[in-house]
Amino acid sequence: MKTINIIIDDKPITVPEGTNIFQAALDNGIYIPGLCYHPRLSQFGGCRLCMVEVTERRTGHRFACAHPVSEGMMVKVNTPKVVRYRRSVMEYLLAHHELSCPTCDKSGECGLQDITHELSLAPSRFHAVRMNAPIVRDNPVLELNRNRCVLCGRCVSACKEIEGVGAIDFQKRGIQTYIGTAFDKPLECSFCGSCLSVCPTGSWQDRTFAFRGRAWELKKTQTICPYCAVGCTIILNTKSAPARLEEGMETVRRVTSDDRLGINEGNLCIKGRFGYGFIHAEERIKTPLLRKNGELCPVTWDEALGHVSERFQQIISEHGGRAIAGIGSEKGTNEDNYLFQKFCRSVLGTNTIDNLANMRSPSLNSLIYQSVTYGFTATSLREIEVANTLFFFGADVTEAHPVIGNMARKAVRMNGANLIVANVRRVTFRSAAKNDIRLQYSFGSQVEFIHALIKTILDEKLVDLKRVEQSADNLNELLSGLDNFSGENASQLTGIPPEAMRKAAAVLTKPGHCCIICGKDIEEDPLAEDIIKALMNLCALINAAYNTDTGYGKVSLLFSRSHNNTQGVNDMGVVPGFLPGYIDINDVSHKEKIERVWGTSLSSDIFQKESASIFDCALQGKLRGIYIMGANPVIHYPNGKEVLDALRKIDFLVVQDTFLTETARLANIVLPVVTFAEKEGTFTNMGMTVQRLNRAIQPVGDAKPDWQIICELARRMGSAYSYTSPKDILNEIESIVPIYSGINYDRLKRKEFYWVSSVLGRNKPIKYTFTRIRSKSLDVKRNTGFPLALLTGVSLNHQGAFSQHSKVLRSVAPACHVEINKKDAKEMNIQSGDTVVVESPQKKITLQAKVTDKVPDGVVFVSEDYEWIPVNLLRNGEYTFVKISRETG
Amino acid sequence: MILPLLKGLILTLKRFFNPYAVVTMRYPEERPKLASRFRGLPELQIGKDGRERCIACGLCARVCPSQCIYVEGATDEATQRRYPKIYELDAFRCIFCGFCEEACPVRAVMLRDTFELSTDHSKAIFDKAQLMDYSRKRNITI
Ligand code: SF4
Ligand code: SF4
Ligand code: SF4
Ligand code: SF4
Ligand code: SF4
Ligand code: FES
Repeated sequence: MKTINIIIDDKPITVPEGTNIFQAALDNGIYIPGLCYHPRLSQFGGCRLCMVEVTERRTGHRFACAHPVSEGMMVKVNTPKVVRYRRSVMEYLLAHHELSCPTCDKSGECGLQDITHELSLAPSRFHAVRMNAPIVRDNPVLELNRNRCVLCGRCVSACKEIEGVGAIDFQKRGIQTYIGTAFDKPLECSFCGSCLSVCPTGSWQDRTFAFRGRAWELKKTQTICPYCAVGCTIILNTKSAPARLEEGMETVRRVTSDDRLGINEGNLCIKGRFGYGFIHAEERIKTPLLRKNGELCPVTWDEALGHVSERFQQIISEHGGRAIAGIGSEKGTNEDNYLFQKFCRSVLGTNTIDNLANMRSPSLNSLIYQSVTYGFTATSLREIEVANTLFFFGADVTEAHPVIGNMARKAVRMNGANLIVANVRRVTFRSAAKNDIRLQYSFGSQVEFIHALIKTILDEKLVDLKRVEQSADNLNELLSGLDNFSGENASQLTGIPPEAMRKAAAVLTKPGHCCIICGKDIEEDPLAEDIIKALMNLCALINAAYNTDTGYGKVSLLFSRSHNNTQGVNDMGVVPGFLPGYIDINDVSHKEKIERVWGTSLSSDIFQKESASIFDCALQGKLRGIYIMGANPVIHYPNGKEVLDALRKIDFLVVQDTFLTETARLANIVLPVVTFAEKEGTFTNMGMTVQRLNRAIQPVGDAKPDWQIICELARRMGSAYSYTSPKDILNEIESIVPIYSGINYDRLKRKEFYWVSSVLGRNKPIKYTFTRIRSKSLDVKRNTGFPLALLTGVSLNHQGAFSQHSKVLRSVAPACHVEINKKDAKEMNIQSGDTVVVESPQKKITLQAKVTDKVPDGVVFVSEDYEWIPVNLLRNGEYTFVKISRETG
Repeated sequence: MILPLLKGLILTLKRFFNPYAVVTMRYPEERPKLASRFRGLPELQIGKDGRERCIACGLCARVCPSQCIYVEGATDEATQRRYPKIYELDAFRCIFCGFCEEACPVRAVMLRDTFELSTDHSKAIFDKAQLMDYSRKRNITI
C-alpha cells in the first residue's frame, strides 16, 4: 500500500494513502477534537469541530475528518483562528444542551464535556433555549434523551452499517431534526447497543446501569463474554461498596466494550452487553447442597466434598471406575475441562466422559480436525472481515453469532464481499452486498444441495480440473459419484431453481478469499457427517481453483459452535474418543507420555472408547454415578426423556453448577461454582482463538472455581494435584496438548493464541482426498399423526441458565415462540399470539405461536435457548415430527 | 525576683474576680454562639417535595479529602429521577472541610451548626435518614 508522509503539529508521520487527517492524527496520538467522526463508521462531517489549518499543500482551513492526507502536507491543530472557530461551534452546540451532567450517566466520559473542559468555555453569549424533549423509555434496555443529542449521526450510522438494522434515523428537518425511529414507534431492534457505545454524549443511556455508579468510580476489567462462541472481549465495570453494606463487595454495574480490544472491535450483542444480570442473580447457588431425606440442604464444603469423595471411592471399589461417567462443560474454561478429564481418567479411572456438544454431533470433532489438517479451517474469525465471498450454510448468523454478522457486514462494506445465505429457513441477515444470493433448500436436502453446487461448478467449468487434480487426490471418485446427478434432479430435490444455483456457483468460484460458515443446523443434522464431507469436497474444489501457493483465494471454513468454550471443551479431550488435543484414544503409544506428565499409571480401560453414549450406558445399568460439571443435559440433550430416565436410574449424581438447573435438581449433591466474572482461565472460540479471562470480582457466596473443586476432590481421593492457579494448569496443557503447544498464560494477556496457525506453522497442510458420499436414504417421512417437522435452533436473546437469570434479557424476550408457516397456520386456523400445544410422540409443551414465512411449510421452528422451555423433551435424537393444536380450555 | 512573681499573681487574681473575662461556659446548660460560617456536620438538605435534594452525582464523594462519603445512585421508580439509594458519611473521618458543600451542584449537602457528634464506634457512620433528620428538625426546605 502506498504511504504518505505528512507533518501534524511539527510531528512527522507516515500513514497509508487515503487516510484522512483526523485518523492520521488519532493513530499517532495527536488529539483533534471532534464528535462525529468514528474510525469504524463512514465519515459524516456533521459536528464541524475538527477544523485544522493546513499550511502546506492544499492550504486553508479544513475539516480533518473529511480531508484525505496528501504528500508533504503540514497541519496545525491549534492555531488561534482554529481555536476561535472551535469555541464558537461549541457555543452553538451548548446553547440548547441540557447540561445535566450531574445526573447524566455519561458524565466523566462524555465527548462534549471533555471538549467543553478543554476549551475552558465560559457561559455562552447566547440566550440558552432548552428543548425539554421527553425522554424516550420504550424498551427495557436503552433510553434516549434527545436533549443531549448533538446530531452527530454516529448512532444512525452504527445501526445501519455495523448492525445492519437501521432502526433509527434522523427525523424531520432543519432545527426540528431529532434522532428517532420511523413514526416514533417504540424501538424494536436487536438491542446490540452499538448506538450506545458510539454516542459521544449521554443521549443514549444504558438502562441496566441506571445511575448505579459514576464513570470515575468504576473499575474496568477486560474479559471474555460467557455466551456464544464468538468470544467477544467485554469490559466489566465494577464498583466496590464499603464492606459494611449489603452490597458489601465489588459488583458488576455494567458491561462496555473497547474498539481497540478483542476480535470484536467493540461490537457486542444484547447478551454480551446487557445480559450480565445473572452474575448477581439471587437464584445463584451460594453453598453446597446435599440431598438429605429427599431435600437438597445447605452443607459445608468439607461435608460436601467428603461425601462426594467417599461415594466415588465406594463406587470404584465395588464396581470399578468405569461405573462413573463425567460430563464436561461448554461454559467452563479450558483449565477446568482439562482438569476434569484428567481427574476422570486418572483418579476415577473412567473414559466414559463426554460433553453435550460432542453428544449432539459426534462426528464433528474429527471432521473439524481433518479440515484443520487440510488447511481449510480459518485461522481466526478475522478472516471473515477480509473475505470477498461469504457463504453461510445452514447458519443463522444473526441469531447465533451476531458479532460474526457485524464482521460479515464489514467485509461487505470494505471489500464489497458477495454473500450467499443457504438455509432451510428464510433467515434474516441484513447486508448491502452487491451479490446477495438467498437459497432456501428443502428440509433434509443438504447433501443434495452441496452436490448440486459441485455439479454446477463442474458443468459450468468454473474451475480448472487439471489444477484440481494436481492439488487433490481421487477426483474421479467425486466425478463418478455425481455422474447420474442432473440439474433438474437437484432442483427437484432441493427446491432451488438451477438459475440460482448457477449464480451461487459462479460467486463461490470468483477469485478472492471465500469464507464459509457451517451452521449448527448442519452440524447437528442426523446426516451431519455426509453433509460436512460433501462440504469439504466443495472446499477442495474451490480451493484448488486458485493458486494456493500465493495464499490468495483461499477457502476458510468456520464451524459454528454454540457456547463460549464448546471448542475448548473438545480441544481439552472431554470426549470419549480423544485425549486432549485430538489424540486418538485407541492409540496406546501416547500412554507413556500421558502417564509421565500426569505422574500416575492409567488402566488400559482408559484407552478404549465406549461406543454407547453416557445415557445409554446408564440405562443399560452400566453406570452407578455421574459427575456433571456445568452442563444441563436434561434441557440441552436432544432427547430429554432419555436423560431423565438415565439420571433417575443411577445411584449417585454430582452436579457442579452456578444455578439450580433442571439437572441439578435431580442431583444427590450440588456444588456451587463461580461465574466467568469471578475466575481466571482461558476460553477457545469457534475460530480456534484462545483468549484469557480476568477476574473482576470476588466469588459470590461460597462458590468456588471448578478447578479448585476438582483439586480438592483429587486430594481427598489420594492424588493431590499441585496447581495453585489456572496458569499452572495451562502450563501443563502447553506441554501435553500438541495443538496448544507454544501457548503462554502471561502472553495471553496481550495477545490471543491461534491454535490453527500454530498447527499449520508446524505441519504443512496435507493433500486433500475427495470422498464419495453415498447419501443414505433420508428418513424425512412424515407420520400422518405428526405432520410437521420440528426444527430447533438458537436465539439472539437467550442462551441457557445465564440468560434465564438475567432479568433484562427476560424482559426483552419473555416468551419462546413456535414459528409456523403462514400456509400451515391458515390450515390449522392459528394466528400469531395464539397459545398452542406442540405435541410429539414423546411429550407435549405449550407455547405461543408466531406465524411467519421464515420457516417453510411443513416445518415448525422452536428455539432451544429458552432454558425454561424444555423443547428437547419433545425430541428423540432423530428428526422429530410434531403436531400442533390450539390449546383448549 | 519576687516582683515578677507578684505581678503574675496580681493578674491571676484580677482575672479570678472579674466576672466579664470568663472564657469557659456552662455547657450544656449554656450554648455557644457560633459564627455564621461555622462548619459542623454535613447535613442532607430537603427539597420542596419533602425528599432529599441530592441527585447522587457523586461529586461530594469524589472531592472529599478524607473519603468519608459513599453514594450509591439509583432510579426512583415512580419519577425516574436519579436519587441516592445510599448516602453515608463516616463522621469519625469527616474533617469538616466543607469541600462537599462547595462541590454539590444542587446545594444538597450543607455544613451547618451541628457539632454534638460524640458517639461510639459502632454508630460513627451516619446514613441518609440520619443526615436528613437534622434538616428535618430545622424545618427548612430549599
Ligand atoms: S451529555 Fe455530556 S455534557 Fe451533556 S449532560 Fe451528559 S455529561 Fe453533560
Ligand atoms: S441497539 Fe443496535 S439495533 Fe438497536 S437502535 Fe441501537 S444500534 Fe440499532
Ligand atoms: S444520539 Fe448520540 S450518537 Fe446519535 S446523533 Fe445524537 S449525539 Fe450522535
Ligand atoms: S456475539 Fe457472542 S460473544 Fe459476542 S457479545 Fe454476543 S453472545 Fe457474547
Ligand atoms: S454533591 Fe450533592 S448532589 Fe452530588 S452526591 Fe453529593 S450531596 Fe448529592
Ligand atoms: S469530526 Fe469532523 S466534522 Fe465532526
